[in-house]
Amino acid sequence: MAPLLTLDKVSKYRKNPEWLFEGITAQVQAGERIALLGTSGQGKSTLLRIVSLLGKLDAGALVLQGRTSSEWKPEEWRRSVCYVAQTPIMLTGTVERNLRAVSELQGKPFDEALARRCMEGVGLGHIDWSKEAESLSGGEKQRTALARTLLLRSPLLLLDETTSSLDPKSKRQVEQFLSAWCSEEGTAFIWVTHDLEQARQVSGRVWFMAEGRLLEQSATEAFFTNPGSEQARSFLDNQHAPEQEDAGHE
Amino acid sequence: MNNIALACTLVFVAITTFISMKQKLGLEKEIITGTIRSAVQLLFIGFLLHFIFETNHPIFIVLIIISMITVASWNAGSRAMPVKGIRLRIALALAGTEAVTLALLLSLRIIEAEPRYIIPVSGMIIGSSMIVCGLYLNHMKRELEASRGEIETLLALGATTKQAIRQAVRRAVRSSLIPTLDGMKTVGLVQLPGMMTGMIVAGADPIEAVRYQILIVFAMSASSSLTSIVLSMLTMRLWFAKDNGRLL
Repeated sequence: MAPLLTLDKVSKYRKNPEWLFEGITAQVQAGERIALLGTSGQGKSTLLRIVSLLGKLDAGALVLQGRTSSEWKPEEWRRSVCYVAQTPIMLTGTVERNLRAVSELQGKPFDEALARRCMEGVGLGHIDWSKEAESLSGGEKQRTALARTLLLRSPLLLLDETTSSLDPKSKRQVEQFLSAWCSEEGTAFIWVTHDLEQARQVSGRVWFMAEGRLLEQSATEAFFTNPGSEQARSFLDNQHAPEQEDAGHE
Repeated sequence: MNNIALACTLVFVAITTFISMKQKLGLEKEIITGTIRSAVQLLFIGFLLHFIFETNHPIFIVLIIISMITVASWNAGSRAMPVKGIRLRIALALAGTEAVTLALLLSLRIIEAEPRYIIPVSGMIIGSSMIVCGLYLNHMKRELEASRGEIETLLALGATTKQAIRQAVRRAVRSSLIPTLDGMKTVGLVQLPGMMTGMIVAGADPIEAVRYQILIVFAMSASSSLTSIVLSMLTMRLWFAKDNGRLL
């Protein structure tokens, strides 16, 4: 089956000629759920921004549905490859204006039922849509931004620590809703997260970035039970260590 | 004004230099350079205008307007972010504004088609439009920094570059026009414009001077709006990368 998205030797300079990451080659199949892991500073968010054409690609190529990024109109690419930033930015105005943004930008009628379903799915069914979006809490903004993006019904989501401001219960709710959404809509995602439990729960594959490269692309369970590189083993040990220390103190 | 009176104006330069020396501002060199440059430039343009008015040939009017636009574009462009093609777009905005304004002034017979009207009026229009260009680009620079998140959010939601930047452009256009509009509201109450003052000092009837000043104020407000809007349209795509439409 032809891949939905192909990253072909994607590279980014930290500062020319020093690479932040180099030669990232990978594929995303339709409906595939990928967790992108790695320590801070590896360029995971930068990679997502490049894939969504919000960042500069210094070398390599991106291919979506068989066409390179230069063959797409940027706005059409971004409607198919939707980036949800870690820090949510609310558009000026009400929650409703934010939810209507996608349909207004495309000149299409607003699907209110779908918007309500998305807001309820992310745990914001109780929110008054006439409220100023800027007055929402950090977690509410993050979930509104996610619901707003889902309205695009894109085949690929790029989620950058999308639940970082949420409490554990809300986090689980968003994970469950996204899983159900992806199953129903056939949506794929690349989800940057530092929450290993979350990565394990939501993904079918793990991409692991270290030393400026994509060191591993493996099935999620295989990655967690038997990582293929020393760097991944060390990463998992370090991520688990604080939890074990905490458990020891209890 | 005779030459002795003109020479006496140097007393003002002496006052400025004295203050600079007394207060240790270190501006003496700048003051002397500025004095010499302004005197030479103004005398040069005086003789040039004298020559042009005498010969009354359209080519000289065109040449002087082109040189005004060139200098104004260069100056306003230095306020902008170093984006390729910005000066050319400023020049096009200024040229378009000058062409439209002058065409209206001449076709409606508000001014006569003579160098002594066309050149000073063009100078004032291009000069005020140049300031508006500088202000617009300055505001746009701030908008691109302050509204980066909003613009990128819209892009991520599938907006075209034009849709994503529309609000920022609108705010920058509005801000660039505020000084012109404020000036219109207070002209005659707070400041007496240079042209009108000059005409009155030179012996013209104050009512006649005011009539010309009204013409200039209205023409300048229209040309400022036109320049700001035309420049905003011409530069719309410059803020985005050509390869993938990302915000620069």
